[in-house]
Amino acid sequence: MEPRSLSTVLIVDDEEHLRELYLAELSEEGYEVLLASNGREALEVLKDRRPDVVVLDIRMPEMDGIEALGKLVSRFKSIPVILHTAYSSYRDDYRSWPADAYVVKSSDLTGLKKTLREVLRKNPTKP
Amino acid sequence: MKIAAFLLAGGRGERLYPLTRDRAKPAVPFGGIYRIIDFTLSNCIHSGIRRIFVVTQYRSYSLEKHIQLGWSFLSEKLNEFVRVVSAQQRIDEQWYLGTADAIYQNLYILQQIRPELTLILSGDHIYKMDYQDLLSFHQERAAHLTVATVPQPREMSRHYGVMEVDPEQRVLSFQEKPDSPRGLPGDPERVLASMGIYVFDTRLMVRRLVEDAKSDTHHDFGRDIIPRMVEMGDRVFAYIFQNPSTGEARYWRDVGTLDAYWEAHMDLLGEKPAFDLYDPQWPILTHDPPAPPAKILSPTRSPQEGIQISNCILSDGCLIRAEKLSCSVLSPYVQVLEGAQIEDSILLDRVVVEAGTRLRRVIVDKGAVIPSGWEIGFDKEKDRRHFTVTSGGLVVIPRDWRID
Repeated sequence: MEPRSLSTVLIVDDEEHLRELYLAELSEEGYEVLLASNGREALEVLKDRRPDVVVLDIRMPEMDGIEALGKLVSRFKSIPVILHTAYSSYRDDYRSWPADAYVVKSSDLTGLKKTLREVLRKNPTKP
Repeated sequence: MKIAAFLLAGGRGERLYPLTRDRAKPAVPFGGIYRIIDFTLSNCIHSGIRRIFVVTQYRSYSLEKHIQLGWSFLSEKLNEFVRVVSAQQRIDEQWYLGTADAIYQNLYILQQIRPELTLILSGDHIYKMDYQDLLSFHQERAAHLTVATVPQPREMSRHYGVMEVDPEQRVLSFQEKPDSPRGLPGDPERVLASMGIYVFDTRLMVRRLVEDAKSDTHHDFGRDIIPRMVEMGDRVFAYIFQNPSTGEARYWRDVGTLDAYWEAHMDLLGEKPAFDLYDPQWPILTHDPPAPPAKILSPTRSPQEGIQISNCILSDGCLIRAEKLSCSVLSPYVQVLEGAQIEDSILLDRVVVEAGTRLRRVIVDKGAVIPSGWEIGFDKEKDRRHFTVTSGGLVVIPRDWRID
């Protein structure tokens, strides 16, 4: 495979073992991976870093994904967000609609990886 | 069909200053005993629309108080309400950036209610309209968006959002305040002006609001959302607010300037007024605090001559001892003392006009006291030293004004 410029993904998920899994798998795909364990931490990370995409869980303590999504859109309009949740029921919730994509979690990361590639292709970054 | 109405009441109303110094524009008193917002709210009630959110922002205290006192008669048990939604910074730490953002920031309400259609209204206009006609028009055309419009003379275009339509009334273009738009087909001297009233298919509206929130725009329905929907090929139609048999525009006024505010008051007067407050089919509802009836006294100087009053609206609690009163609208508890002469004026609650005063084309805000012997409205230069004088030559006296 052609080496490509390193895209940065911010993973926001409250489950530690999932964060580790995503870190391992996505690093292997050639992404630089940043981690946060809830919405508030994600906003902290975004004070210093500008990832090319954010993968956002919904049910999290302190600040959930729906609230974080609203703030992300308002503060960083150009960073695409993928909602990544175990529940499909938020898909029809208007508050989830600002997200660029919606992926239901599965043990296999093929779906997430595919969506990451699509979202990054539609939103070429790094001016 | 599940419908929710959002009445946007957050504008600053700067061109109505000083009437908007202490209150939001929809809370500005109108027609003796009403507030501007009462006309739109009454339209909702008479149209059977009883799930109403009033979205407020600036100087909303007086407006919220009015709604609490005057508009809490609907039954929550029947899921009917007029509910005030103040800017809550629910999405992020900012006020509403534009009309579209005011709805976007309240997506959680739409999510709770899940109406199929969303009716967007403005709290700034004087008119009587059955919104059911508009909703039927929208549904018959399977529209994504219907904009209520009123035919206006072409030279007025730069005051409005103006639409070009095809013979089926589908909107071909929407321009905000254009200089020289094309006239209506077959009626080139008139254009279709947006009344700031929209019916949306809720799902498509949310999609367009979300796209707009992520774009660098004014976040405004008129400037951004509607032109974008037309451009995207969405089904956008124009409903025309006119007499179906004569094609004459129905009464609708944006009372956004002091001159327009005064003109609309003059429209209430006379035997066959342009806007009839006395129509039993369409009563305007409001908060109506108890007050004693208006009382007209005899002038003490020449009791046998009586007082000349013609073509006026007098509210409860008024005490009139004037010499002459014509073509004026008086709110509750106005006192006009001995020998005063008032014409073509609007006096809001508790104004006192002292003896021998003459007023012509004056708007006096609540509680002001006009001192004995003053003449206002006769010498613009002199009036300008104390008060706002409009381009139309009206003098406006601010709330609680009195001579130092």
